[in-house]
Amino acid sequence: MNDPRAWPGSVRVFAEYDRDFHVSADVVVVGSGPCGAVAAYELAAAGKSVVLCEEGPPFTPADYEIDGAISMSRTMREGGLRFTSGTVLPTMQAIALGGGSLVNSAMCNRTPEFRFQEWAESSELSRTSRADLEPHYDAIAEFLGIATTPDEVQGPRNLLFRDGCKALGYSAESCPRNVVACRGSGECFTGCRARAKQSMDISYVPAAIRLGAQVLTSVRVEQILSDGRRVTGVSGRVVAPFTGTPGPSFRVEAKAVVLAAGVVATPLLLQRSGNLANSSGQVGEHLQFHPGTSVLGIFPDPVDPQFGATQGYQSLHFLRDGFKLETLWAPPGVLAVRMPGLGHPLKQALLDMRFASVFDGIASCRRSEGRVRERGKSLQPAMSWRFHPDDAAILGRAIWHMAEIFFAAGARKILPGIAGLPDEMHSLAEADVLRTRTLRPSEIVVASTHVFGTTRMHSDPRRGVVDEDLKAHDLDNLYVVDTGVFPRSPAVNPMFTGMALARRSALALAGRV
Amino acid sequence: MSLLWTFLGIAFAGWAVARLFLGYGAGDPALRQLASREQAFVRAAADAVFPSGGGALALSGSEAGAVAHVDRYVDSLSPRSRVLIRLLFFLLEHATLVFPAPGWDGIRRFTKLSPAQRVAVLDAWQRSPLAVRRTVFQSLRAIVTMAYFANATVLRGMGLAPLEMESPVIDADLLYPPIGRPKSAIRFTPADRERTIVRAPLDPHGPLDPAYRENA
Ligand SMILES: Cc1cc2nc3c(=O)[nH]c(=O)nc-3n(C[C@H](O)[C@H](O)[C@H](O)COP(=O)(O)OP(=O)(O)OC[C@H]3O[C@@H](n4cnc5c(N)ncnc54)[C@H](O)[C@@H]3O)c2cc1C
Ligand code: SF4
Repeated sequence: MNDPRAWPGSVRVFAEYDRDFHVSADVVVVGSGPCGAVAAYELAAAGKSVVLCEEGPPFTPADYEIDGAISMSRTMREGGLRFTSGTVLPTMQAIALGGGSLVNSAMCNRTPEFRFQEWAESSELSRTSRADLEPHYDAIAEFLGIATTPDEVQGPRNLLFRDGCKALGYSAESCPRNVVACRGSGECFTGCRARAKQSMDISYVPAAIRLGAQVLTSVRVEQILSDGRRVTGVSGRVVAPFTGTPGPSFRVEAKAVVLAAGVVATPLLLQRSGNLANSSGQVGEHLQFHPGTSVLGIFPDPVDPQFGATQGYQSLHFLRDGFKLETLWAPPGVLAVRMPGLGHPLKQALLDMRFASVFDGIASCRRSEGRVRERGKSLQPAMSWRFHPDDAAILGRAIWHMAEIFFAAGARKILPGIAGLPDEMHSLAEADVLRTRTLRPSEIVVASTHVFGTTRMHSDPRRGVVDEDLKAHDLDNLYVVDTGVFPRSPAVNPMFTGMALARRSALALAGRV
Repeated sequence: MSLLWTFLGIAFAGWAVARLFLGYGAGDPALRQLASREQAFVRAAADAVFPSGGGALALSGSEAGAVAHVDRYVDSLSPRSRVLIRLLFFLLEHATLVFPAPGWDGIRRFTKLSPAQRVAVLDAWQRSPLAVRRTVFQSLRAIVTMAYFANATVLRGMGLAPLEMESPVIDADLLYPPIGRPKSAIRFTPADRERTIVRAPLDPHGPLDPAYRENA
C-alpha cells in the first residue's frame, strides 16, 4: 500500500481518453473541490464504490506558474475574468483537481454559533448548530492537520496586523489553515510549491483513491440523468485542459449522485437537466458573495512582504458587525493593480511595495443578492448581483478599521483605494473621512472568492432545494454538497463549513446506498 | 443627387475604416494572438502607464516585454474572454474619436496621440465620476500591470522576486503526470519521497527562484 501506483483506485487524465466510455458505481460525485473531495473520501471509506468526476486537470508543481496573470488564466474559470452584471463584481472559481483548494489561502474557520442560529431561524433548521457540526469539523481538522499559522512563517507583513489590532484592543487570531510545514512563500494563489498546503488534490483525493475511488479528470458533466424521483447517473464529455475542446463522451451510472460542482456550476447543471430539483423555484436564486476590498499600508522600514504566509492573521472582532478583517498577499502584479496613479508617480509608488502590508475586509452581506442562469446552452453562467448600499456601508466601516489598525501598527501612509477620496492618507486624522463618510457601492473596488446560496438548504421544500442532509427535496437519491447550500453568509471563510456539511451529508448517504 | 450621397457615404465609410483600422505598421509576427493594431495599442498603453526611466524601475512597459506577455495571456484565455479583452482594447483605442484627448489634435485614436495626451486620456478614465469608466480603466491597467510585473528585472528592482523553493515528492506526484501527458510520463518513484529537502521557513534574503535570477 506504500506505492500509490498499486492502490485499488485510479485516476484518469486527459491523455488517456481515446474513445467514448461508460462506467458504473454506487455513487458518482461531480466536482473535486473541498466539498466533493470530502464526500468522495467518506463514501469510499464507508465501502462504497465511488466515481469522482472533475472538469479540470490535476496540477503538479511542474504545471504551476508563479506569474499571477498566467497562473490565473490556467487555474480559474474564464481565465479569472468572470464577473457579475448589475454591480460589476469580479469573482473567481477554480477549474482544477482540488477545485478552489488548489489556489486558496487555506484559511479554515468554523462558522460562529450566532450565525448558525440565524440560519436555523431563516431556514427552519433543527440539526445544524455549531455543536452538530463540531464532530465533522474535528474529523476534517485532524485529517488535514489544520493548525494555526506558526509565528516563524508569519513574516512582518502578518505580524504588523497583529500588533495594530493589539494596540487598539481588537482581537487578532493567527489563521487556522490546512497547511503542514508552511515555508512562508506567500504564493498560495498560484499553487504551493512546498506541498505544504493540504489542497484536496494532495490530501482527500489521493486518500479516496487509496480506498478504491476512481477519479476521472478533464471530464465535464453536462447532464444529470433521471427517471421520475430518482437520478440514475450523469453524462458528459471529455474536455481538453485549458481550451475546453470537447472529446469523447462518457456516462456514469450510479445509485446516487452527489453534486459538488460549486455555487455557480451546480445550479446550471440542474437547470440544463430538465430543471431538476427545482419545484421550489430556488435553484440559481439567492446568489450571495462576501464582497471584499483591500487597503495597502506603507511602513517606514522594509516589510519584505513576499515572505510570510499568504493570509496569516485575521480579526474575528467585528463578525457581529457584519465584517471580517484579514491580512492578504497575492502575486505582486495582482496587488499592484491596486496602486493608484499612472506614469512616473505610479513607478515611484511601486517602489514602496517593499515597505507594504495589505489587509482586506470581507462583508457578510444581508441585503445584496443575485442569481445565476445558463448563458445560452454553454454551461457558462450569466450572473447578476447587486451590491446593496447598506452592505457597502458595512464594508466602508471595515475600511476605516483597517486604516486604524495600519496607523496603530506604525504605517506612515495608507492607500485606501476609494473613488473620490485622496489616493494616499498620511495620518489617522486624514483618514477620519473613512469613519465619517458612508461609502456607496460604486465608490468601493470589490471582488469576491466566497460564494453561496444558489441551492439553499431549507426544511420547507417550497423554499429551499435541499434538506438538512443536503438531499434534494424533489428526488430520492440526489445530493448537493457544495457551498451553494448555505442559506446565507457563514460570516467567515466558507471552505471549512462547506466540508463539514459535506461530510455529514456523505455519512448520511453512505447509510442509504 | 442620390449618386452624390452614395459617393459621400462611401468616402466617409472609407475614411472611417482607415481611421479605425489602417496605419498601424507591421506587428511582431511571432505573437500568436494580438493583431498589429492590438500590439500597437498595448505598447502605447503600457508605455503610458509605465514610461521609460526613473531609478530602480527604469524599464518602460514595452521594454519590460508587456506586449509579448499580454499576447501570451490572451492566448491562454478562452475564446469568450479573448473577445472581451479585444473589445476593451478596441474601446480604449477609439474612444478618443468620440471623447477627444486634450489639444487641438485630440480627435485621433489612442495610438496616434502624443505620450502626454495618452497619459491625460487614461487619467480622465481613471478619475471619471462614472464607475463604469473607472472599471474600464482598471481592467486595462490590470492587464498591463500584470504584464509589467512578469518581468524578472522589474520584480528584482522592487525586491519582490520569488524565492527559490524545492518541491518535495509526495504520493500525489506518483499519481498525476504533468498536464497533457500520459501517466507513463511520471518520472518519480516511491524512493523519491524519501529524499530530504529543506522544509524550514524561507529566508527573505535567500536565493531567488532560478527564473528570476540576474543572469537567468
Ligand atoms: C483565490 C481564492 C482564495 C480563497 N481563499 C479561501 C480561504 O482561505 N478559506 C476559505 O474558506 N475559502 C477560500 N476561498 C473559497 C473556497 O476556495 C471555496 O469556498 C471552496 O473551494 C468551495 O468549495 P466547493 O467544493 O463548494 O467548490 P469548488 O472548490 O469551486 O469546486 C468545484 C469543482 O467542481 C468542478 N466542476 C464544476 N463544474 C463541473 C462539471 N460540469 N463537471 C465536472 N466538474 C465540474 C470545478 O472544476 C471545481 O473543481 C478562496 C477561493 C479562491 C478562488
Ligand atoms: S504560504 Fe507558501 S509555503 Fe505556505 S502554504 Fe502558502 S504557498 Fe505553501
